[in-house]
Amino acid sequence: MIEAIDRGASLIALRGVSRIHDGGAIAALRNVDLQIREGDCVAIVGASGSGKSSLINILCGMDYPTSGHVIWQGRAIRRKKEWVQLRRLRIGIVFQEFNLVPTLTALENVELALLGRGMSAKHRYTRAGMVLGHVGLDHRPHHLVTRLSGGERQRVAIARAIVSEPKLLLADEPTGNLDSASAAKIADLLFDLREMTGMTLVLVTHDDTLAARCARQIRLRDGTVVEDTLRGLISATIASRSKT
Amino acid sequence: MNLVRLALRNLKRRPLRTFLSVLGIGLAVGSALVLTALSRSIQDSTREGIHEIGGDLIVMQKGASGIFGGFIPEATVARIGAIPGVVRVSGALVVFAPSGVANNVLTFGWPDASDLWKMVPLVEGRVPAAGERRAAVLGDTAAASLGRKLNDEFDLFGERFRVVGITGYAAIVNRSLILVPLLDLQEASYRPDQVTIAHVSVRNAGDRTELARIRDEIEAVGNVVATTANEVLDHDRNFTILEAASLAVAIFAAALSALNVLTTLVLATQERARDIGIFAAIGWSTGRIMQSIVIEGMLICAIGCGVGVLLSILAAYGFPRIPTIGNLISFKPSAGLIVPVIGAAVMLCILGALLPAWRAVRMLPAEALRRM
Repeated sequence: MIEAIDRGASLIALRGVSRIHDGGAIAALRNVDLQIREGDCVAIVGASGSGKSSLINILCGMDYPTSGHVIWQGRAIRRKKEWVQLRRLRIGIVFQEFNLVPTLTALENVELALLGRGMSAKHRYTRAGMVLGHVGLDHRPHHLVTRLSGGERQRVAIARAIVSEPKLLLADEPTGNLDSASAAKIADLLFDLREMTGMTLVLVTHDDTLAARCARQIRLRDGTVVEDTLRGLISATIASRSKT
Repeated sequence: MNLVRLALRNLKRRPLRTFLSVLGIGLAVGSALVLTALSRSIQDSTREGIHEIGGDLIVMQKGASGIFGGFIPEATVARIGAIPGVVRVSGALVVFAPSGVANNVLTFGWPDASDLWKMVPLVEGRVPAAGERRAAVLGDTAAASLGRKLNDEFDLFGERFRVVGITGYAAIVNRSLILVPLLDLQEASYRPDQVTIAHVSVRNAGDRTELARIRDEIEAVGNVVATTANEVLDHDRNFTILEAASLAVAIFAAALSALNVLTTLVLATQERARDIGIFAAIGWSTGRIMQSIVIEGMLICAIGCGVGVLLSILAAYGFPRIPTIGNLISFKPSAGLIVPVIGAAVMLCILGALLPAWRAVRMLPAEALRRM
């Protein structure tokens, strides 16, 4: 088991990351050390204000640590340009609020993520349509996103996040704004996609059932990691080996 | 989907604001075009008018502010006529004369013996006979604006004049002219024995060396300056001031259009902070985000410039219908005028769009997404 855990190559890691706001008045994250390996399925849980969203923002370079480093595949990422490139090619993000461009159709929202990648308009169109099909929205590609249901909007957001075939998919409360039926479908979709593509999934959630579907859970409290099931698993395995 | 389509969608999203911005830019560009065209047109039509009346050189008092500003003794005109190579010379008293009906009519007084009378393109009547007093020839526009026809009488400097002829000049300035005997105008304007300019015809006008010699000799007569019809306005301070004022207003108008784009885009980027956060989240580079904002600004600017050109063309058609001034001047916004004005407006609009674009990309994506 330990070998299996160790074998996984580190995809992204935080080293002593803190995020302080308002000149030290608020510490969203405090000295966080974390390693996420390729293919991991991680749930980040914790109460509101525990630092979950700050952690996600730091993991994708949408916010920067006040101290500490973010390391992507063994290399510290410091420059804005590097983060932009990672978000364009390697990291997909799904938000609780969907964050779609309201003036565009479902297909166009997905296409946006492909702009500036040297693809022809036709290729972009085809690829966006195909990915919309993967998320079960091939019947409404030309609808304005404002005319779609919450579940459908989240599908568009997922399609936009995965259209670049990222290695890491970050989902910040992806079911938080949905009714239970839609939430279950979106959760299934995320896990199915992960299963199909083998991408790493990091999920922020309040939902214990959803968190339980991930092999690893990280619990945050007041900006610090108070529980990481991977560490627990390693400790338990080491302890059982010592006994034998 | 491309950046232009995205920008168009954003403009459609706020139709009233887009309309007002376009209108603001259109009015600014239109005003710049109209003012510049007007200034140029006044100069061009005055030059054209001087050419049409006749003469190769125009002589004015040295240091005079313009063709109305200086005075030359008639005796000087006679001395110019004696210079070898000068074929004809005619003094002219040029004044804006008050008339009972329309104030300040451009009036030329020519000597009875002037050859300029022979070149008047009459459409009706005749020119004043030698020694005839209080007789006037009206340009067709002047006749229309005074409401006078052949044999009617009208006031000039409080004196009664009778219309003996109507001219058919082509230049708009000349169409508003009143021509009277020099003696009458000198008496009426209290300028006895004086003229403001002299029209000089030379034997070999095409010979630049000869023309230069004659100019030197004329100027040697003393206290006068001789110029060609094309150059005459270069010495005219009124036109220089007019040109400077038009340029200043045109620059001001262009700056207003840029300010309009700036205001619109600052508001748009503030409203769309979330969209900008989304673009950053999906990996758009700083350059691409800026490009999308600048394209939006350029679209507003392009539509606004189109509206401005249209407004200036409409103004050009409508201007001649304005009473009193419409008879005196007209203008036409030419391509030579539209291109630099629009070029300046576009440059300013790009600058106006860059500021909000720069502000937008400085935001952290997470911070942008938190904004509503």
